[in-house]
Amino acid sequence: MGLRDKERNVSENVKEIGQAEYEAEVVGASERMPVVLDFYSTECPPCEALAPKFEAVADQFAGRARFLKIFRQGNRDLATRLGVTGSPTLIFFRGGREVGTRLSGEDIKRSALKQQVEEMLAQAAA
Amino acid sequence: MAERYDLIVVGAGPAGLAAAIYAARARLKTVVLDESVPGGQVKTTHKVSNYPGFPEDVKGADLAKAFAMQAERFGAQIRRAVEITKHDLAGPTKRIELDEEEQVEAPAVIVATGARPRELGIPGESRFKGRGISWCATCDGAYFDGKELHVVGGGNSAVEESLFLTQFARKVTVIHQFDHFQAEPATVEEALHHPKIEVIWDSEPRAFLGETALEKVRIENVKTKEVRELATDGVFVFIGMVPRTDLVKDILRLAPGGYVETDESMATSVPGLYVAGDIRAKRFRQITTAVADGTIAALAAQKYLKEKR
Repeated sequence: MGLRDKERNVSENVKEIGQAEYEAEVVGASERMPVVLDFYSTECPPCEALAPKFEAVADQFAGRARFLKIFRQGNRDLATRLGVTGSPTLIFFRGGREVGTRLSGEDIKRSALKQQVEEMLAQAAA
Repeated sequence: MAERYDLIVVGAGPAGLAAAIYAARARLKTVVLDESVPGGQVKTTHKVSNYPGFPEDVKGADLAKAFAMQAERFGAQIRRAVEITKHDLAGPTKRIELDEEEQVEAPAVIVATGARPRELGIPGESRFKGRGISWCATCDGAYFDGKELHVVGGGNSAVEESLFLTQFARKVTVIHQFDHFQAEPATVEEALHHPKIEVIWDSEPRAFLGETALEKVRIENVKTKEVRELATDGVFVFIGMVPRTDLVKDILRLAPGGYVETDESMATSVPGLYVAGDIRAKRFRQITTAVADGTIAALAAQKYLKEKR
């Protein structure tokens, strides 16, 4: 126990993108499987806190949903276009559009993230 | 199978980490659980000026890291970003489940879960969370370069974070329900003389308005009852805290305001269960009073464990 904390590497199931890739990696890809996009910032302890939970859930849904992160400071135009003003913010996409409820701020629970992904998968199957 | 400890501390803020430092130095097998990274509210405070030992201001995030490193140096284990999915703290062995997959147990627990920022509870607030409304200036201030911001509140946090936000914003307007601030006089003076800061006294927000993102805040003057709408790029809310009592609210009687009552050794009515820091019913909530609570709770828990053996 405790390994997950101490020897943590960024999961291979979380991919970092830039805004130029948004249309293909997020909107386009969500036609095929659910996508979760994480806007993060530096000097943001809630973002640091979310990272291991995000990776754990990404590993759990590997091959069934895509987990992407995007650095807000380097991608301001997209943040502005999507109306994102807080870090971290998780946005969910399915079928080429945003779905569900955005999760934002310090109290994003692993169980809440998991639940939204499960709902997207259930809707995709229906 | 459950991993057994002498002491489980829930919450890695100043109270919990001070407790962990004392417990680990007393050779208690100690684990600290936190939903986030260590530091509690301190980690998102941009600077701390009144914590002894730092003749210059210290960044909250740096102070938080120092607390955690000190606890880990003595052998306390800090579990970051874990979620408590089940708990039973009432009996002689306290049991906690983490992330639905792992069990920890101990004969003594210190709950130092602190408090979360209070929400206004007005229309539009949850809709625009992360779309113009924020509770963390260090996290989100930089989103508002050259923008016009509003801050709600008038205590230390509101005034200090307003000053911090002037680094980014073109203008910061503070909306406060009274006709004076409750913050430390030195900070108040700096804010009132700051060219980018304006204050609207005697007023409270009533609603947040906008299409997809926040555009306006509706405020009411509590004396004249005049209502008006202010255009805004973003609102930061600092109106105090609500204690996080989820772990204990079913087994302990809560004081008015939802805080937990203890005796002077931080003990609750449940043997082996202690609370420390901002969750506790007390008059002043500072980093210094939190570390004092944590210290006392750890010493009391140590004595309890010794007598139990």
